[in-house]
Amino acid sequence: MLASYVENQTDSSLMMLVQAGETSQLAVLFERHHLPLFRYLLHLTRNQTVSEDLAQEAFMRVLKYASTYNPNLGFPVWLFGIARNLYFDSLRRKKAESISDGFTDIRSSDPMPEELVTRKQDVTLLEKALQQLPSDKREVLVLSRFQNLRYEEIARLTSCEVGTVKVRVYRALKQLRENFRRLHEAKAAQRAKLQDQEGLYDI
Amino acid sequence: MTSEEFRLFIPQYLADQLTIDQLEAFEAQMAASPELQNEVEELRWLWQGLGLLPEPQPSPALRARFYQRLNSNGRERPITAHGFSKWLHGWLPQIAFGAAVFLVGIYVGHVRDSGRAQTEELTQMRSQVQNLQQMVALSLLERQSATSRLEGVGWTEGIHRPDSRLMNALISTLNHDPNVNVRLSSLDALTRFTDEAVVRRALVDSVASQDSPLVQIALIDEIVQMRENNAARELRALAENATANSAVRQRAQWGLTKLGYE
Repeated sequence: MLASYVENQTDSSLMMLVQAGETSQLAVLFERHHLPLFRYLLHLTRNQTVSEDLAQEAFMRVLKYASTYNPNLGFPVWLFGIARNLYFDSLRRKKAESISDGFTDIRSSDPMPEELVTRKQDVTLLEKALQQLPSDKREVLVLSRFQNLRYEEIARLTSCEVGTVKVRVYRALKQLRENFRRLHEAKAAQRAKLQDQEGLYDI
Repeated sequence: MTSEEFRLFIPQYLADQLTIDQLEAFEAQMAASPELQNEVEELRWLWQGLGLLPEPQPSPALRARFYQRLNSNGRERPITAHGFSKWLHGWLPQIAFGAAVFLVGIYVGHVRDSGRAQTEELTQMRSQVQNLQQMVALSLLERQSATSRLEGVGWTEGIHRPDSRLMNALISTLNHDPNVNVRLSSLDALTRFTDEAVVRRALVDSVASQDSPLVQIALIDEIVQMRENNAARELRALAENATANSAVRQRAQWGLTKLGYE
């Protein structure tokens, strides 16, 4: 029985069951969407615990507001929209203390051991470059690259025009390239400096 | 269309999201403009590089807490006089545990204050607390209510190293619990102990015996996550099983590729 849900039931038909009171169907939607939702939130908040809390709350809101679900919007866009609102609500509540400042950047601050291969170094730098993007650019890039959302869906989610999304994703990618270049050059300079120092010791 | 407008298409081109007309126009422009071609290549490297970024995983607590809330959501009722004894009965293990921890705390405090605190005694106390915690978890795992069993799985979170009884109970829950949510939560709990060969083996063995595609997919993901090298037979059998759920078959195939078997 469960097999048919996984294979055949669309998100919207599952939501119709949830609307009809079969709340257990939310579990299937949770299994389908909690990972991408968590990763999207992690890009917004940069905090593992906050992202998990918001993801969990978003699914409970799906249950609470199931009657307002519009199948034309598509479930992921609706779900991400709920999570996005929760995130901005939490930001507003904590505006005095600036929520982002309190968050730990969970992955970008680790020093890179010299013995790591270049590709891995590049990936680490790329991750850092992505974290350095302004939040509006990072968000559209993440939605396009990692969530595979189409521009129309991103536009609905972020309440802007498709043309704006188009420009924003392109500019985000360009800025990512600049950030990466800058970090790469800084790393190369640091390495050259270290090699110089080692050379001096050798003499 | 200006060259600037063509540039805006680059991310959609890389994401394979252009319409046929747009794609034809874009490729024609690329063929005519080495500048655009260079930019595409440079950004393509970046686009592909983003695909190599590690995919962060939520902690097992997310799933356990969600299912707890979902289950309690479906069961929330006002506590009546009739239901009170039932409610109290449900909380008895936790109350007993709380009281035991309280008494152990007083005893430890007493021992320390009297200046006779021995590391050995403290270790013993800690071990007793863990034993009590295990007892509560085991007791909850045997309950009829799925919510209680989910709570039981939740209790294992605080246990640093469960004994074989609790480990077997978790494995048994994973394999036999009638509720899919409880099985998924016990899987999450077991993932904390995948450094133990017996747990790794149990997860691999469980794939074939599960009747829930959700659990099977979660198990395959975990097998890939822990880079289990002795799962080729099970994954291949699943990938080739015509009666298995097609999403599961695809996931098993994906697992085989990820683990380098194919």
